[in-house]
Amino acid sequence: MQQKNRDINLEEMMAAGIHFGHQTQKWNPKMSSYIFTERRGVHILDLTQTARILAETCDLLFNAAAKGKEFLIVGTKHQVADLVASAALRAQCHYVNEKWLGGMLTNWATTETRLRRFQYLQLEESRGGFDRLPKQEAANLKGQLFRLKKCLGGIQYMSDLPDIAIITDQYEQSIAIKECSILGIPTICVVDTDCDPDLVDIPIPGNDDARSSIRWILDKSILAICEGRSTLEVSEVF
Amino acid sequence: MVGALAQGAAAAALKEPLGLSPAPSLGFSCSGLSGHRLSRAAHNGFRVHCAMAVVPKKKDSLISVAEEHWLRAIETPLEGVSFSIDDFSQALSNYDVNFEVGQMVKGTVFMSTNNGALVDIGAKAPAFLPISEASILRIKSVEEVGLIPGLEDDFYVLRSDDDNGRMVLSLKKTQLDLAWERCKQLQAEDAIVKTLVLAANRGGLVVDVEGLRGFVPFSHISSKTSYDDLIGKIIPVKFMEVDEEQARLVLSNKKALVENQISLGIGSVVEGVVQTVKPYGAFIDMKGVYGLLHISQISHERITSVENVFQPGDKLKVMILSQDKERGRISLSTKKLEPTPGDMLRNPSLVYEMAEEMAQTFRQRIAQAEAAARAEELRLNQEGEGLQSDSSGLGSLGLALEELDISSVPSAVEA
Repeated sequence: MQQKNRDINLEEMMAAGIHFGHQTQKWNPKMSSYIFTERRGVHILDLTQTARILAETCDLLFNAAAKGKEFLIVGTKHQVADLVASAALRAQCHYVNEKWLGGMLTNWATTETRLRRFQYLQLEESRGGFDRLPKQEAANLKGQLFRLKKCLGGIQYMSDLPDIAIITDQYEQSIAIKECSILGIPTICVVDTDCDPDLVDIPIPGNDDARSSIRWILDKSILAICEGRSTLEVSEVF
Repeated sequence: MVGALAQGAAAAALKEPLGLSPAPSLGFSCSGLSGHRLSRAAHNGFRVHCAMAVVPKKKDSLISVAEEHWLRAIETPLEGVSFSIDDFSQALSNYDVNFEVGQMVKGTVFMSTNNGALVDIGAKAPAFLPISEASILRIKSVEEVGLIPGLEDDFYVLRSDDDNGRMVLSLKKTQLDLAWERCKQLQAEDAIVKTLVLAANRGGLVVDVEGLRGFVPFSHISSKTSYDDLIGKIIPVKFMEVDEEQARLVLSNKKALVENQISLGIGSVVEGVVQTVKPYGAFIDMKGVYGLLHISQISHERITSVENVFQPGDKLKVMILSQDKERGRISLSTKKLEPTPGDMLRNPSLVYEMAEEMAQTFRQRIAQAEAAARAEELRLNQEGEGLQSDSSGLGSLGLALEELDISSVPSAVEA
């Protein structure tokens, strides 16, 4: 049973273009149950199913956030990278919006090493440690810091593996999905008509290309997360 | 969980319990498929035959919770959904968008990359505006033409959806149309425009006007400096030929400069400097305007070689004989300025001193001649009419006098 009205509005969804799928010849037959019809050689996704699944997803996120779980939002496509970062910052989740480094989660030990180095360099820079070094070395370290910030900036506060992963594009983030499923981290992914819904735990049928579509779905998700967090008692955080 | 499924035939394949011992993962793209995914696959109507690796117990609870949510959504499809399938299919027709090649579409730029800009037009995927199509001018990045995130504009559809649903847009087409319109307008107004010289080729100069490439033939350039030096400079031109279909844009520098001399009427005396000396005369530069002083117009006496009389750089005074605005030519004369014939050769300075007076005399003579010619014409016309009224008498002679049109005789001096 649904816990709360998530205000999932048909007009909003259509204006965001969530129902657009790819061309019919590019489809994945496994998506057939989520496809409503075909228009002008392009598949149209069934938004009633999208709305239902999204509502359940928001419930899941709400409950998980209320229990103090950690989330990871992954989206590296050029046109949604900044959306992912801003959404994650608003919801205080971790995020990956530049290249997903191989083994980021499965090789967590190494990633942790890099994060520690990142923290160290940040500390040094804020304390003015770079100024005491010769120019060349300082430039090297600044370059390192820049690169680390670019790749790991979103997960710098992550101390352990996340509990739930929200992924914006299945093809683009196929490595992330693989890592999550190896580790048993539930994945919530936006699946388009050319994607495989069996690879993820909760597929949300929707358009993964348009910026407005991803933005709308992320907005609803992080709203649920924020609401769940607000019900957290202070003692549970620590 | 398995029992909850309604797919009978497929479920029959799932006879084994889910608590399997770890089996080696098969070469699938996703090695961590859990038993839950078997149920998913079964739901979609696929027969499942193989055993999968079991998920580590640590995260099992959260995954199963996620599965529960998903299954619930699938099994109670419309619960809590604020609209129905019919609402959806109706709304589909409202949001039907179709973009054809050649259409103008409204869009918002939301990102600019090295190769162009991404524009949101409300279709499945954002459309792409390549840097080569952003402007008719050559630019390095799209920011130079103002394509920053947030800009809303009308774009021209160049190519419709490719495989990824991406369209290619262009701003160049509209700009080109506008540029040609402006050129046509300017030509109609006979206006002078300042253009930047881009290059020199075999036949003339290539200039940039309104973002379009125009051509100025050598014969229409009046300039002292060599053509290569002109590259990068700004020169005034007038439009000669503006043809959009053939993409021909021909301009004239000479005509633009001649325009400046409109104040100089026929018969006025101007100071000038000899620019070049040719066998048939000398080109005189009068404050940027060029005129030809023909060998026959230098002096009443016969001159065999122009070089003997003038050298490049000589300062002299000339009188303007005539101006040809069409071809941007000015004809000059010093002959008329000679107080006594032959003075140019013998005593040029005298000629220059007397130049003003001679010019005055010349003008008076011209005016008289003109008046006389007009009077003559009038008289001829009247006679002609008189003759015509008598045509009945003379008509029997077979003379077709009414066809004789005297008014079309040109006046003696053509301005």
